[in-house]
Amino acid sequence: MGAKADKVMDICLLAGEIMLTYGAETYRVEETLERMARAAGFSNVHCFTTTTGIFLSFEERKGRGDMMQMVRVDNRMQDLNKVTEVNQVSREFTSGSLTVADAEERLNEIYHAKIHYPLWLIHLGAGVAGGGFSYLFGGGLSDYLPAFIAAILASIGLVEFERYLKVRFAAEFAAAFIGGTSAIFLVFIGFGSNMDQIIIGSLMPLVPGVPLTNAVRDLLSGDLLAGISRGVEALLTSLSIASGIALSISLFL
Amino acid sequence: MNLLLEIVITFTAILGFGVIFSVPRRALLLGGAIGSSTWFVQQAGLAFGATPVFATVIASLIAATIAHLFARRIRIPVTTLSIPGILPLVPGSRAYFTMLAFVEGDYIQGLEYGVETMLLAGAIAAGLVFALSIFSFGKGIGNRYETGN
Repeated sequence: MGAKADKVMDICLLAGEIMLTYGAETYRVEETLERMARAAGFSNVHCFTTTTGIFLSFEERKGRGDMMQMVRVDNRMQDLNKVTEVNQVSREFTSGSLTVADAEERLNEIYHAKIHYPLWLIHLGAGVAGGGFSYLFGGGLSDYLPAFIAAILASIGLVEFERYLKVRFAAEFAAAFIGGTSAIFLVFIGFGSNMDQIIIGSLMPLVPGVPLTNAVRDLLSGDLLAGISRGVEALLTSLSIASGIALSISLFL
Repeated sequence: MNLLLEIVITFTAILGFGVIFSVPRRALLLGGAIGSSTWFVQQAGLAFGATPVFATVIASLIAATIAHLFARRIRIPVTTLSIPGILPLVPGSRAYFTMLAFVEGDYIQGLEYGVETMLLAGAIAAGLVFALSIFSFGKGIGNRYETGN
């Protein structure tokens, strides 16, 4: 195996790993990796991606053995900014304006970058989204503020639980429970009137929007395995949220 | 007046969602605008007497189409625009009432809400599918007959 082939294999898999981890569609990962490997001058490129791993193989030279490597993706988060940036790097690499070393440097930067928006802004965003949706789903303007507060508490709960417990579904369950409980409590002390709408608003920021949309897209582009597994992932998240909120309603109402 | 307020609130809520999903800065406002227009289309459809499912299909189709158009123009993955675009259609309240009915032991009511939730979710998916099909003409995704290339 030559040094260049090894390097290209590494940067391709790194790009794929970042994309898949942060919520790109399966077809995008496969296409990007195949394009990058072809642009580096290798033939017989094949890439197979599911929701949890990437296989990539290409032929270094005629007559030499083909190479094949895989990478396993454990966590799936949502950071569409990183997907966009990797997309940009692969575009430049494919058009030939980036060398292999440059591409590796850029990808490592993206890989180690912090979240695009600061954490307080994410919590604020969850609050605004929660308050807004509580109004859109038929609450009054007086329900905006309690839903805002409950959504922020749920968002903080989600992030902090995940930080210390590192179990995603437990964190979602706890976040839904916290959101529901704070909504019930706020209505109980006379702050806001439509309990149902406030609870819905506080839970909206937890909705698994990225996996759901990607599941549809994957199924359509023929990545059946990835599509089904993504759909199941979204379903698990929805079930966690539903059981968290059901628990809080059963306890306090 | 009421609709105007709803559109403004949709815009801010979608901006909040954009921050949660870390949508790049240049697509944030655009996503909010697409979300607002989606909400407007859905409400207009309902006002003209369309069924909720049909209004959702149309709104989702329009949102996904705009997302595809702009994604090509500003060189950005289409999900960064289509996810904010379809968020206002998510049947959150239906899903919640489904859960509530089951918790309270009212299974028939729960099934009714559950079916409605599934239909609305399917409507969103259908809109996405139509838009994707339109933008894949010629490129092709999935084939049934070998009609030669």
